[in-house]
This record gives sequence, structure tokens and C-alpha cells, in this order.
Amino acid sequence: MALIVYFELTNANFLTNANLETLSQFVATPAIIACGEIMLLICREIDLSVGNVFALAPFIMEKAHDAGLPVVAAIAAALLVSALIGLAIGLFTIRLNVPSFISSLGMFFLVNGITLTISHGFPANTPGGPFLTNLMGGWGYAEILWAFTIVAVMHVVLRHTRWGLHTTAVGGNITAAAEVGIRIDRIKIGNFVLTSTLGGFAGLLEAFRIGSTDPLAGGSNIMFQGVASGVIGGTALGGGSGTIVGGLVGAIVLGVLQDGFTLQGINAFTFNIIIGGAILIAMVANIHLPRLRRRGAG
Amino acid sequence: MSEAAAVRAEGLIKRFGSVTALAGVSLQLKRGETLGILGDNGAGKSTLIKILTGFHRPDGGQIFVAGQPVALGSVDEARALGIDCVYQDLALVNGLSVYHNLFLNRELRRPGPFRLLDHGAMRRRAAQALAEIGIELASVEIEVGALSGGQRQAIAVARAVSSNARILLLDEPLAAMGAREARLIIDLIERLKARGDIAIAMIAHNYAQTLEICDRVILMQHGRITFESTAAATSAAELLEIIRREYRSARQGPG
Repeated sequence: MALIVYFELTNANFLTNANLETLSQFVATPAIIACGEIMLLICREIDLSVGNVFALAPFIMEKAHDAGLPVVAAIAAALLVSALIGLAIGLFTIRLNVPSFISSLGMFFLVNGITLTISHGFPANTPGGPFLTNLMGGWGYAEILWAFTIVAVMHVVLRHTRWGLHTTAVGGNITAAAEVGIRIDRIKIGNFVLTSTLGGFAGLLEAFRIGSTDPLAGGSNIMFQGVASGVIGGTALGGGSGTIVGGLVGAIVLGVLQDGFTLQGINAFTFNIIIGGAILIAMVANIHLPRLRRRGAG
Repeated sequence: MSEAAAVRAEGLIKRFGSVTALAGVSLQLKRGETLGILGDNGAGKSTLIKILTGFHRPDGGQIFVAGQPVALGSVDEARALGIDCVYQDLALVNGLSVYHNLFLNRELRRPGPFRLLDHGAMRRRAAQALAEIGIELASVEIEVGALSGGQRQAIAVARAVSSNARILLLDEPLAAMGAREARLIIDLIERLKARGDIAIAMIAHNYAQTLEICDRVILMQHGRITFESTAAATSAAELLEIIRREYRSARQGPG
């Protein structure tokens, strides 16, 4: 809130409709990706590859559409491929005991390579008629509405379903979770699939918004924004606790900073210093203010 | 034996490689009875408990539950027969509330397509389950990590009892506990005994405490039961003397 007031006071353009639209687009992608990463962080895993799935999904959609599938089916195909990438990371991590930090790093490069190969390194145009395009991100606020919807659904999943409770239990005490018969493998692999699918979906939204797809989109930057949003929002890096709504707040903080400083004309180099500082402060608070975090989680 | 024992074991044998952990152990436990299992480290107490909970399978011998011969192939199978164990690590998730822990993996859910968790019903039932066995907490919404060791132990026991465990195995329930904390657990065990429908076997190290709580004690040495008595007919001094004698003869060696 303080950030929003500050930028509004120092810049007349901050709370204009046009800028709110831009701001919402800054916020949407990290918020959606944070939903997945928060679930993974809570059960003590991470997915580093999600930013490259973000880039791959639109190309899968375009290739599927070029091959004759209707756009809706092409979207489904892209989400399916995203889900399979998550499944692969999950299987490497759980069945072959490769830490997810490593298995998803491997997948990060692999997926990036696939994207560059099938796109030949060139951007492509997003298919689809005007209605679908607007629904999927073409209209200025479509992306943020999707983000809010996903945040709301994931909040319910985390707080009000067995899946969410078991995810928290697995991250909090894996021995205890196994002891009461929770199927740990299923929980972890499922959250990898979820994260990757959300990453692919965020990539599709971005492609529909811009109207074309850049093979160099996404990447580690998008992934780190998602993870940082979660952590700024109070998700414990050590697992066992976190909130989806916190992730949305984190994404808004990052978005407001990015957008506000851009409006103020602060150059990109300085901007990264500020973002880095903000993330470090948030991480320190995350680790050293567990009581505050618990109150926020209630 | 007119009344079938809640659980009975005959001639249990367990080997780990060349080590014989149990060399023919027979015991029985009646409903409403509390048995103390004493003995040094490595005497086979934990192995015995782990066989009774279905964690290990015995290499020989037979277990009977309510008079029927059973093969306990897994922890879940033992649980289905009403045998549950509260281990030292307690199997609680510190970051979750008391009621979430009590209902972990057997959550109550609302009807409807999404089968959402019924937090309200779980809170009520958890408060009820705790009240039934006389555990007092300010709220069932407290995170387990904020409770004392004794309270956590009580929650773990409450979980076993509320999930219908009728043969309760406690692995050193009083270990590393201060006097007041231990009192909490001793009182809890007394109340469970008073209910009369639960058989309890507990591993313990403190002889005086064990004799105070239990109806009967057994002493295990080198994978065998070497002494068995009602609590009333023996004393901590006698038990210590048996251990000391054994220790002396072991030092003198067989030849």
C-alpha cells in the first residue's frame, strides 16, 4: 500500500487506467507462476524450468494449430505438454532421487533447447479469433482476471482440500506424513505437474496478449519472479507453510516496484539493484519473522 | 484362559542377519491391562513392538488378536485390527493445528462435488476426542509445534485412540520429560486404563515410574523375557538386582 501511495504522489500517471492495465500485466504472470511454486515450496521442492515451459507452450499451441487442430484443442495440447514436462521432473525427482533443484535445472535447458529448435529461433504469430484472443489475454485486464481466478482456486485447494493439507503435511514432517499413510510421491509429483501446467498457461496468456510469441520469452527471470512473489508473500523456503494469497501480494509488490520505477524513469540497471535489495529484505524477514508469518497464515 | 487376550504372542523369533533380536518371546495382554516392557538397550524391546505393529515380520512364532491367529503384513493391517503405536518421533506435523493433526489422512469432508474439508466438524470432533480422554487445551487450532513435549505426546495418543486403536503400544512415552510433563502422560494413561477397553504396552526405562503406572511388567534381556511379575509383587530394587546379577555374570564370562 505504501508503495502505491508513494508512486501515486510522485507520479501523476500512476493510478491512471492505462497504467493500471500495464501494472496488471506485470502482476499476472508472476502471480500465476507463484501459485505453482508456492505449492512446491510448501512440500519442499522447486521447479526452475517453469519459465521455459512458459516460452514453449505457445509454440506447441502454434505447431498443433498449424497441424490442423482447432485453437482450443491446440491450447489443450500445449497444456498437456506442459503437464508432461512437470510429470517428467516429478519422476526424475521422486523415482530417481535427483533433487528437484537439479532435475528441474536440467529440464530448464532441455525445454529451452526444444523451444529454440521447433521455433528455429524466430517469433511466431498467435492463432485464434478475436473472441478467444480477448478471453485469453488480448483484452487488457483478461490476464489479471485469470490470475485472480487461479489464485482464488489455488487458495481453496491449499486451505480447504485434502490435497492442500497433505502438501503442507509432507513439507512439515515427511516422516509423519508417511506414518499416517499419505502418499508422498503422489503429492509431490502432482504439484510438479500443476506448476508446469500453470507455467504453460501463463505463457499462453502472454502469447494471446502480445499476439506473437518470442522464443526467448520467459526463462529464469519469470521463474524467479514467481518464486520471489511466493517468498515475499510469506512462503517458507524450508517448506511446511505458505499462503497463495501471500504470493499474489508478493507479485503485486514486485509489479508495483517494476512499474513505478519505470514510470519514474529509473534506468534498468538501477532497477535491478532495487529489486534485488527488496527481495533480500523480504527473504530476511521471511526467515526471521516466523511469528509474523504464522499470523499471516491463519 | 477363559477370556481371550486382546493380543497374544507365542514364540516370536526375529533375526537381523546373524543377530538374533528376539529368541522366542511369548506374552499376552488383556483388555484394560497395562504392561511395562523393561530392559537395556538392545534387549529386543523395540523389535518386539515393531513386530506387534506390523512394521517387522517375525521369522518365527504366532500373533493372536482377540484369540484369532493373524499375520501382520503391514502397519496398516495392524491398524485395521486396532493395534497402533505412538513412536518417540510422534509422527505429528508441527506446522499444522492440533485438529488437523488429529484428522490427518482421515479428514472429515463436506458433501458435494469438491469434497472440501469440513474444518468446523473436525474442530468440534477434535475438541470432543480430547475432552473424552481428559486432555485440556486452550484451543484445537493451536499449532502442534507450540505445545510442550507432554502435550504433543498426549495429542499423538489421542489420535491413536480416536482412530479406534484398542491395543496401544507406547515407545518410551516418558523419555526426556520433566516431572510435570510426565505427570500429564501418567494421568492420561491412568484415564485410558479406567476406560477398561484399551490394552496398553509401553517401553520404559524408569523402573519406579513403570511400576507405578503398569499392572504388570516384563524384563527383557538378550531377546528373551527373563522376568515377569505383577507390579504389586515386585519392586524397582528387585528389578535392578536382576539386571545387576546378569551384568555380573556376563562380565565373568561363560568360561
